[in-house]
Amino acid sequence: MDIQYVGENLLAGKLGHAFVILSFVGSLLAFFAYFFSTIQLENRETSWKKLGRIAFWIHGIAVIGIVVTLFGIIYFHLYEYFYAWSHASRALPTHYIVSAFWEGQEGSFLLWTFWHIVIGMVLMYSTRKWEAPVMSVVSLAQVALSSMLLGIYVLGYKVGSSPFILLREAMEAPIFSQTNYLEFITDGNGLNPLLQNPWMVIHPPVLFLGFASTIVPFAFAIAGLFKKDYSGWITAALPWTLFGAMILGTGIIMGGAWAYESLNFGGYWAWDPVENASLVPWLVMIGAVHVMNAYRKTGNSLPTTFILVIATFILILYATFLTRSGVLGDSSVHSFTDLGMSGQLLVFLFIFIIMGVGLLIYRWKSLPKTDKEESTYSREFWLFIGSLLLVLSSFQVLATTSIPVFNKIFGTNVAPPADPIAHYNRWQLPMVILVLILTTIGQLLKYKKSNPAEFYKKMLWPFILSAGLTIGIFIPFEIYTWQYILLIFASAFAFFGNAELIRQQLGKLKAAGAAVAHIGFAMMLMGVLISSARKEVVSINNSGFSYGENFDAKATRENVLLWKNEPLVMNDYRVTYTGDSVAEPNHYYKVFYEKLNKAGEVAYSFMLTPNAQINPKMGLIASPDTKHYLGHDLYTHVTQVIDKSTIKEQPEYAEPKAYTFKIGESDTIMLAKNLLMLDGLNTTLSPEMAAKTAGAEIAVSARLRVKTLEGEKLLEPVYAIKNGTEFRYDVAEADLRVTFNKIDPKSGSIELLIAEKNPGPREYIIMKALKFPMINLLWIGTVVLVIGFSMAVMHRYREAKRIEARETA
Amino acid sequence: MKRSHIILIVLIATAIGVIISTVGDSSSYETFEVAIENPDREYHVVGTLTRMDEMKYEPEVDANLFTFFLQDSKGEVHEVVYYGTKPQDFERSEQVVIVGKMEGEQFNAQKILTKCPSKYTEDEVEVTEHVAQPKQNS
Repeated sequence: MDIQYVGENLLAGKLGHAFVILSFVGSLLAFFAYFFSTIQLENRETSWKKLGRIAFWIHGIAVIGIVVTLFGIIYFHLYEYFYAWSHASRALPTHYIVSAFWEGQEGSFLLWTFWHIVIGMVLMYSTRKWEAPVMSVVSLAQVALSSMLLGIYVLGYKVGSSPFILLREAMEAPIFSQTNYLEFITDGNGLNPLLQNPWMVIHPPVLFLGFASTIVPFAFAIAGLFKKDYSGWITAALPWTLFGAMILGTGIIMGGAWAYESLNFGGYWAWDPVENASLVPWLVMIGAVHVMNAYRKTGNSLPTTFILVIATFILILYATFLTRSGVLGDSSVHSFTDLGMSGQLLVFLFIFIIMGVGLLIYRWKSLPKTDKEESTYSREFWLFIGSLLLVLSSFQVLATTSIPVFNKIFGTNVAPPADPIAHYNRWQLPMVILVLILTTIGQLLKYKKSNPAEFYKKMLWPFILSAGLTIGIFIPFEIYTWQYILLIFASAFAFFGNAELIRQQLGKLKAAGAAVAHIGFAMMLMGVLISSARKEVVSINNSGFSYGENFDAKATRENVLLWKNEPLVMNDYRVTYTGDSVAEPNHYYKVFYEKLNKAGEVAYSFMLTPNAQINPKMGLIASPDTKHYLGHDLYTHVTQVIDKSTIKEQPEYAEPKAYTFKIGESDTIMLAKNLLMLDGLNTTLSPEMAAKTAGAEIAVSARLRVKTLEGEKLLEPVYAIKNGTEFRYDVAEADLRVTFNKIDPKSGSIELLIAEKNPGPREYIIMKALKFPMINLLWIGTVVLVIGFSMAVMHRYREAKRIEARETA
Repeated sequence: MKRSHIILIVLIATAIGVIISTVGDSSSYETFEVAIENPDREYHVVGTLTRMDEMKYEPEVDANLFTFFLQDSKGEVHEVVYYGTKPQDFERSEQVVIVGKMEGEQFNAQKILTKCPSKYTEDEVEVTEHVAQPKQNS
């Protein structure tokens, strides 16, 4: 039975589906056409290539159609579509609609596909003789990615997951039996508040561009193997590899910046499986860049180049499998739902493994290999060793991150290390020290053979300067762990060694990209080391106390409770929680910091407003606020707050109680907070009261003395009778409200009604404040690294152009 | 022996070292029983909350002390001590994973992972509010 639903916009979804099918068919056609061109089927190489281009264009336009349609569905709030409903809401500002677009798995696959198209278009018109084989590989990847959006059933298996399914198709609920159900679905589920951060607008596209660009060296390597042209591809692929390494690295760091700015684990890197999944291919890719250079200059390391380039792309696919298949489950803060596509992801992973590894094994025997041993005093030897170190470092991260995968395969139940930081540091620390030192050794050596004496002479100044800087850092920062001191030295050595290289090459700065990138890397590592080794917990209810590494959780006590408007001194700050400001759904807590100088006087002050959302579904989502100094950051976030919705509204005063006093007898009563004494009655009223009670038959006050913490107070409630009517004038003071209720002349007593003030809920926040010294070195180093990479990309690109021009001439 | 062979051997040895260290450092999902037998090792214990009224967190007294009772998959109940703030909405957790080791009768948790019925990971229409509305309209 078909129900006719009211108000649904079905056209958008149908259009979207049509684009999905078209993009899939287009990529399939492009793959076959380019493949036939590669194998020169029926000697019609050029016409197959032409068809491949047309098909790839169709595929590209269809993908853009998908993007536009899906964006329109989210932008125009078509909540009959599951994707819009589950990732967006009406309150979402436009720039976060963009984030909503790629929050879901389908959206991020779409982003990846889109970047492949952009890259594919550039390759199509720039690679000339490599076009057909390279584009065959790109098109095959597009077949795989487009199929992820199909959402159709083939022989009972679900192939892909469409972003255009309707809400009522995706879910079952009684509401969908009503034809007008849409009237009740007025808003979407909203974007995960953690993702409502500017970094989340920019981080995913950059990261996915990095992912996408790893296909270029892979495609070139496959093309080289297939065409048995084992070396020609490297020159063309090198600028792309550098570009990919730069973008992927930037994307990873941006993820760290997002974590630092908006997550509350107190740092930029947590060895989270999702972070690791991108780091692993990046490390291998950096290794690949280095051996590619070594091969081009010396003819060494060709097999290693093939292995690393192919491994990079396969590790990218593996990373996708890890993060998108749900296999990580509970082990990650990133929550990705399993759309039931792990099977499909595995199939693609194996297709590309078989293609890459299979072809390499098949051609292994015919790969040109050199028998000659490299000299120890040659750059290529240390480039090779450095690359191996990067691969080992990557392997270590990979092994631990893959524990959930081993559990699945072997049916074991192993948990990740309980202390991941210690576990990773044990391996990564020595390896990064060696890598940093090698950047200087490798750079100061020449290719082929260097003169040892000359080499040691070049090393002298960098060595002296680094030793000096190391002492200049570890003493003032009180870093007394020998491994850390070694790392400081290694970073300084990499810094000065590469600076020395730039000094020598002042004439040809265009070629200095590598040296600049190495300097940036050295600065990053220095920033990472100082900011994490000297990370200080400020929020401790005492001063001048800092914990070393490996502290026990028992001793950390990192959280501190701040009562509203009650200042607390922590370290050299006086901190006060002064109130809240609410901009739904964000709740900002105003934390006022006063920096105290040695004399205990306020040197300067500032306000931090860490944010927390009390999300009904996700609990407390705290985002830090950070005061940036040149030399350090002061990072503050709330870890617990009172849920104000649980506080019951209560009247200002409790129910009044009646107390009877005998006139003439001194009587004292105990109240919750103070003592109250009746001194006697008084008929001489204050002028104000006298005016009010003018013409009354009776006007009398009770003189009450109240002892409070601040001293004694006199309260005089008034009782009057005017024209036979009773009047009572209350007094509200000292947290009491006293009414002179009546006079009983027969027993000679009076009755007072006393209401005590209800103690209001005291508001507080629990917060954590951390100090990250020298963190700016990390960010500055990142910028320098990117500049160095860009210089290298440009340099290698021009070089490739020159070589190509020479070959065609 | 050629130098490339030496490099290869060092490489393989390091790789083996990495694997051994991964196995050695890894923890495992266990019950309290195992954690009691090996008080020096850190374990992941999976369980559900129990004796809710004895859950204690008094930030006014100590903002960094939170204790509760957990029942593991075998039904054994132990008090868990966590030196930190109580996670928001902790009571609503369907499942709790604690990482740490036994100290006497108590389990000292270094880390708590909770699995809450989350809006952003579970595909479930909130029928409650949508169902209530049609009645007003009819």
